[in-house]
Formats: sequence, structure tokens, C-alpha cells
Amino acid sequence: MAEFVCRLKRYRQMKDLTQEQLAEKVGVRRETIMRLEKAQYNPSLKLAIDISRVVEAPIEEIFIFK
Amino acid sequence: MKKNKMKIWVGCGILCVLSVLISSWYAVAFNDSRLVVPTDFENYVFHAKDLPMIISVLITCIYMFAIAIRLFIKIRKRQKQVEETAVHRKVNPGLGFLGLFGFLGFAGFWTYSLNGTVYPFAFFLFFGFFGFFYEGKMSGTFMDERFRENADRARLKAYRITFEVMFVALVILCQGKLFGSLEHTLIAAIIILSLALASGLFLSEYLLYRYDHDGQTDEGEE
Repeated sequence: MAEFVCRLKRYRQMKDLTQEQLAEKVGVRRETIMRLEKAQYNPSLKLAIDISRVVEAPIEEIFIFK
Repeated sequence: MKKNKMKIWVGCGILCVLSVLISSWYAVAFNDSRLVVPTDFENYVFHAKDLPMIISVLITCIYMFAIAIRLFIKIRKRQKQVEETAVHRKVNPGLGFLGLFGFLGFAGFWTYSLNGTVYPFAFFLFFGFFGFFYEGKMSGTFMDERFRENADRARLKAYRITFEVMFVALVILCQGKLFGSLEHTLIAAIIILSLALASGLFLSEYLLYRYDHDGQTDEGEE
């Protein structure tokens, strides 16, 4: 199975957003953002696109499958 | 429901109970206990003195029907609200104590030995209500995609366990008489099916809670 790496934390901090703020912007709970940052949860395509729009970074840069 | 409306409904309920009590007293005192004692309706002939009893029972039935309809509408409204707001319905975790009614299932052993009644074994189903404890803990949670995914996963696993238990039980029970008695087979079937369904009800809530909260001890803002 492909290894999942998530660089969301780095991009979120670059945009000066807290987990709570990012969660609110993309319509999920803070816990979901936390799991994403720990690469414990695979987001849906919609959520991945929403996040990439908010942090203004390409999806393939944020979510990496090795 | 507004407090005034609630008071009206409770008041109506009390009036219904009172009307049944008064009409029962009237029937016992002045009408030879007609319609109070078991009545054979095939040979029933209407008497004017039966009217209070008939009217009070009719009013009580209408009241109960209205309550049932109101409850149905309220449940539908809540479901719609949950769909619109994407917030998990609010449930009091204390409702989990309803699961204790599951112990009523053991009454089946007593009723069976007394007069052969087996339906109380179905009360084991109430054990599933222990799930309200976990559902209550999830009350008011915003249902994002991870929550919905976890809910589906929990439900699927719970149903799989339920159906596996039911399948194995049915295969075993359909082999023939249990302990040489068809009645014992029926009792075993009722108990196993009730417990399997109860475990399905409970597990779908418990597993959802577990999936949602596992590894949350280190969930600090970073």
C-alpha cells in the first residue's frame, strides 16, 4: 500500500492559520485537520481541493503518495 | 415543544386517564362492571349506560393516536434538521440506562416455566439501548466527511457481526431439535436473534465513538 505523507501543517503555518480556522474554512472539524496533518486520514478529492485552495498550494505538494 | 403546549398535552393525558378511571368506577358501581370485565363482543348488546366507558376509551385512543402522530412528525423534523445542519442529533446519554431493560429478557425463563410464554425473551433486544450512552456522547457533533465515513464504517462492521451471528445461529438451529425439543430451539432462536440485533444497535454507536475518538489523547492544537 502506498505511503501517505501530508505536508498540510507546513502550508497551514505558512498561511498563519490555526487548525480551527482552516477547519472552519473547509467545512470540517478541527480533529479532521489534526488527523490529516498526522497522515492518519485520507481526504476526499473535494476536501483536498478545498484545502489546496485555502492554503494556496497544489494538491500534489500537500498530499503525497509514495 | 413550547412549555404551554407541553402543559396542554400533559393536561389532556391526565384528563384521559381520569375519564377512564371515572367511567370504570361508574361501570363497576352502576353498570354491573360491563366493559370493565372481559367482554365477549360477539354477543354484545349496546346499553345507554355503556356510553361513558365507550366515550372515555375512544377519547383515550384518539389522544394516543395524536401523540403517536406528533412523535412521528417531531422525529421527521429532527431528521430533516440533522440533514440540513449536518449536526448530530442531541441525545441524552442517560437514555443508555434503558439498556438495563434488557435484563427483562431473563423473565422469559420464568414465564416459560410458568405457562410456556416465550415472548419475554425478546426483551434481550433492549440491551442494544446501551448504545444511547455513546450516541449521547456524540450529541451535537458536526458531521464532516470523516465523521460520516466513520459512521458508515461502524455501521457496516456492526451489521456484519450481527448477520454473521444470525447466520451461524440459524445454520446450527436449523439442523434439528435443540436438546430434543422444538420449543427449546425456538427459545434459543429468539434469544440469539434478540442479542444479535441488540449487539448491532450497540456496536454501531460504540464503534463510531471509538473510531472518532481513537488516538485523541494527543489532540492538542499545534
